Amino acid sequence: MSHALRADQFLLDADRTTWHDETLWFVREKRDRAVYAVPEFQALRELASQIKDHTLSRLDRYLQEFEAAAQANGVHVHWAADAAEHNAIILAIIRQQGATRIVKSKSMLTEECHLNPYLLQHGIEVVDTDLGERIIQFREEAPSHIVLPAIHLKKEDVGDTFHLHLGTEKGESDPQRLTEAARQHLRAKFLAGQVAISGVNFAVAETGGVVVCTNEGNADLGVNLAQVHIACMGIEKLIPRLTDLGVFTRLLARSATGQPVTTYTSHFTQPVAGKEMHVVIVDNGRTQQLGRPDFRASLKCIRCGACMNTCPVYRRSGGHSYDFTVPGPIGAILSPNIDMKKHASLPFASTLCGSCTDVCPVKIDIHTQLYKWRQVLGEANEIPASKKWSMKFMGRLLASARVYGLSGQFARKALRFLPHGLTHAASFNAWAVARELPEPPQQSFREWYQQQPKPVPQPPQPQVPA
Amino acid sequence: MSSASRTRILLAAQANKPAETLLPTVPDFGGEATAERFSAVLAGIGGTVVWLDGLGQLGSTLQQLFPEARNTASPLFAGTVPVDAGTPTEVLADIDLAVLTGEIGVAENGAIWLPEANMLHRALPTITQHLALVLDHRRIVATMHQAYAQLPGTGGYGTFVAGPSKTADIEQSLVIGAHGARSLVVLLY
Ligand code: SF4
Repeated sequence: MSHALRADQFLLDADRTTWHDETLWFVREKRDRAVYAVPEFQALRELASQIKDHTLSRLDRYLQEFEAAAQANGVHVHWAADAAEHNAIILAIIRQQGATRIVKSKSMLTEECHLNPYLLQHGIEVVDTDLGERIIQFREEAPSHIVLPAIHLKKEDVGDTFHLHLGTEKGESDPQRLTEAARQHLRAKFLAGQVAISGVNFAVAETGGVVVCTNEGNADLGVNLAQVHIACMGIEKLIPRLTDLGVFTRLLARSATGQPVTTYTSHFTQPVAGKEMHVVIVDNGRTQQLGRPDFRASLKCIRCGACMNTCPVYRRSGGHSYDFTVPGPIGAILSPNIDMKKHASLPFASTLCGSCTDVCPVKIDIHTQLYKWRQVLGEANEIPASKKWSMKFMGRLLASARVYGLSGQFARKALRFLPHGLTHAASFNAWAVARELPEPPQQSFREWYQQQPKPVPQPPQPQVPA
Repeated sequence: MSSASRTRILLAAQANKPAETLLPTVPDFGGEATAERFSAVLAGIGGTVVWLDGLGQLGSTLQQLFPEARNTASPLFAGTVPVDAGTPTEVLADIDLAVLTGEIGVAENGAIWLPEANMLHRALPTITQHLALVLDHRRIVATMHQAYAQLPGTGGYGTFVAGPSKTADIEQSLVIGAHGARSLVVLLY
């Protein structure tokens, strides 16, 4: 199913669509206020972009530097070529511990690898401890946003879910009380947790440590109470130096939610004596993306979600319409690398307005890459025949002044006589589904211009300085 | 299998990486390193600043601020619960108030660097119901650049704490007190 068809589902509820649109725009506005308050924000974006470019240009070396430093800290480092290997490594660590109680803080990578269902198949239940993730875990849904996983839900939905799973009062929809219920429920899980899985926001090559940013404190609470910490990271999470964090911590939360910084910016470098820390470094298509010059910049992403919040298509189609772990503009350039056929419609889920590129804290040229993916998909014959042929047809038409003029004449006449039901038929004019065609003018600009009296050429007048 | 994958990933990264680019030097952007700015920003993210006339006032100030705290833990005074790295979870779970020393305050975002050495137990700052951090106002810097420049290293574990634990996962309504401490008071002296 294409993005457009899934978006149709989302759009069935017009009020909810408007609410979703406005809620995300509100986050975008908060981002703007936070960003404008930092005079050097643009310089920071440029620095972040350069640091990430540099890291990618020496990625193999930084990976080894990180590994050596982490091992010197007593951390176990694992390498996973793909999702299956990532999952198998984690299962093996859990089994080795004989653990059954697993808590996990937010990690888009484990979502990408479908870790939870895999562990469940092997009899191990994982409790997601981020509030938004716990809500959607109860509902057996995927996150619809990388920073705000339950942004598609209203408080009444959460109330119903908690009534069902946590026994809160029926009809309770007060965010304060619902959050308190989740706090009590998850506290029991934290206290009992044996293995804690976390994502990684930044991995510092110099120190071998990983940095995890949360507002809820769920990563710290889970990791620091459990016997074993497993941190999962894509190879692109590396940064060279500890001081580079000065740049990224100033950008991340401001871009994501408009906060000056996340509540907890936690540096996990060494396990406590007697406990274990593991880092799983995952490729899963990333080195392939690194080899695509037009698209490798997508690996600079720090997963702030700003491109989603600002995207007019994302805001009005919802995260689930992308059917990929990372939705929105960045998801639309990451997904075709993973499965071009399945995600062929995503690079078209954009107006190419460029707002994503404007807000991206690491200056990824997102909309340019969307445009380039469209070319790649066209070459690879991955666009629907109707779109392909209509594009070819329009290409010919617009390339010839004569054909363009004739078809304009024809259209102006035809539109006046053809019945509305035909010109606006949803079956072949998707554009007109929610729009009215303009009233056709009597003549084109060219026709009008030709009828105007020719201006008499004037000799050039000498310019008199004022 | 892991070591074959290691080789494969490193070789692929080496083969596919772009031509090397320069690692930029990050300038110190300056900024306002004042207690006023720090306090204003912290208030904006749900924390509170209370001035002490010196550490001697700590006990009485805490009495006033947390009259109901029964189980307290701190390296700065004799709390009711002694805590160290080996304290069992059940004991930690009952702590109402932890009072710890922050190392560096960051004026631009209200964050305070809290290294493991100052925590008694790594889980204490998040498992306690309420957290108070004592901070020397002369240790306030303007930005995260200056904070990282001053860190001797990050130790085994350390965290920048900026305000109380919070969430906005239900309809973007801000709720203070998600999983970590429900409140954060910074005691400046
Ligand atoms: S592409 Fe840029 S704006 Fe989008 S999530 Fe990544 S870092 Fe943020």
